[in-house]
Amino acid sequence: MPSLSSSDNIINMVSNMVKTEAEVDIEQLLDKPWVTIVWDDPVNLMTYVTYVFMKLFNFTRERAHQLMMQVHNEGRAVVSSGTREEMERDVQRLHEHGLWATLQRDDKI
Amino acid sequence: MSHFQRGEDGYSLDITADEAEILINLVEQLLELLGEGDFFHHYNSDDPFAQLMAMPAEIAPPEDPVLLRLLPNAYADPEAAADFRRYTEPALRGAKQRELRMVREELLLIVDNHKDGRIEDVDVDTWLKAINDLRIALSIRLDINPDSFEKFELMPDEDPQKPLYAVYYWLGWLQENLLSTIG
Repeated sequence: MPSLSSSDNIINMVSNMVKTEAEVDIEQLLDKPWVTIVWDDPVNLMTYVTYVFMKLFNFTRERAHQLMMQVHNEGRAVVSSGTREEMERDVQRLHEHGLWATLQRDDKI
Repeated sequence: MSHFQRGEDGYSLDITADEAEILINLVEQLLELLGEGDFFHHYNSDDPFAQLMAMPAEIAPPEDPVLLRLLPNAYADPEAAADFRRYTEPALRGAKQRELRMVREELLLIVDNHKDGRIEDVDVDTWLKAINDLRIALSIRLDINPDSFEKFELMPDEDPQKPLYAVYYWLGWLQENLLSTIG
């Protein structure tokens, strides 16, 4: 157990904590700035899109329905985010189910 | 009219011979359209030589709009889309072919009997995806948009496209029926 009596120690600890958090942030920026987008089309049934979202992403029915409505009303919705490889897998699975999906870097970050 | 139902240990589809005939025709046409990549099963082979020979330098995006919708670009950027397509399109195409073939096998039992019947042990996921792919294919050919149903209802019976619209909306009904059956 390190002694907290000296202020140097405390400064060291704090700076270590800050450093660790900053590193995690950079890691997230590098590894996580990708999103999967599902686009609206006039064909896929609303109930089917909800079913696919629940199945592929383990969303609750409410969450899946909400995202489906966002696709329907706004023309697109982000359905997942993560590494590029993860998003490529999601897009592939959505294509297998006939949904129109793409991946891209998340502009918001 | 055909419909799905939940049994004790699975789902079944009651279907008329006429409907099975229509469905199998659509399935076979879509299989034919998807067929140009038939030899890509080598991708899944363990033989390194087969894998090497089967890996094309590039796969162009399909020119047919139905195929482009079923096997879409994953990126807006053409270069990234081409790279993704090269590695994934054969598997996607293969998955769709497998599902359509499974549905075809099951429909054949009805079609060969020439009478209405029941398909037992329906794999829900396979059927949902296959029906959806058929609907997508038809929708591209018919240029389906939010106003299409009204157009269909006002169409005179002698319009040669009317039966195709009817099949398209029937498939939507069938898919909805399966979704509500599984809850």
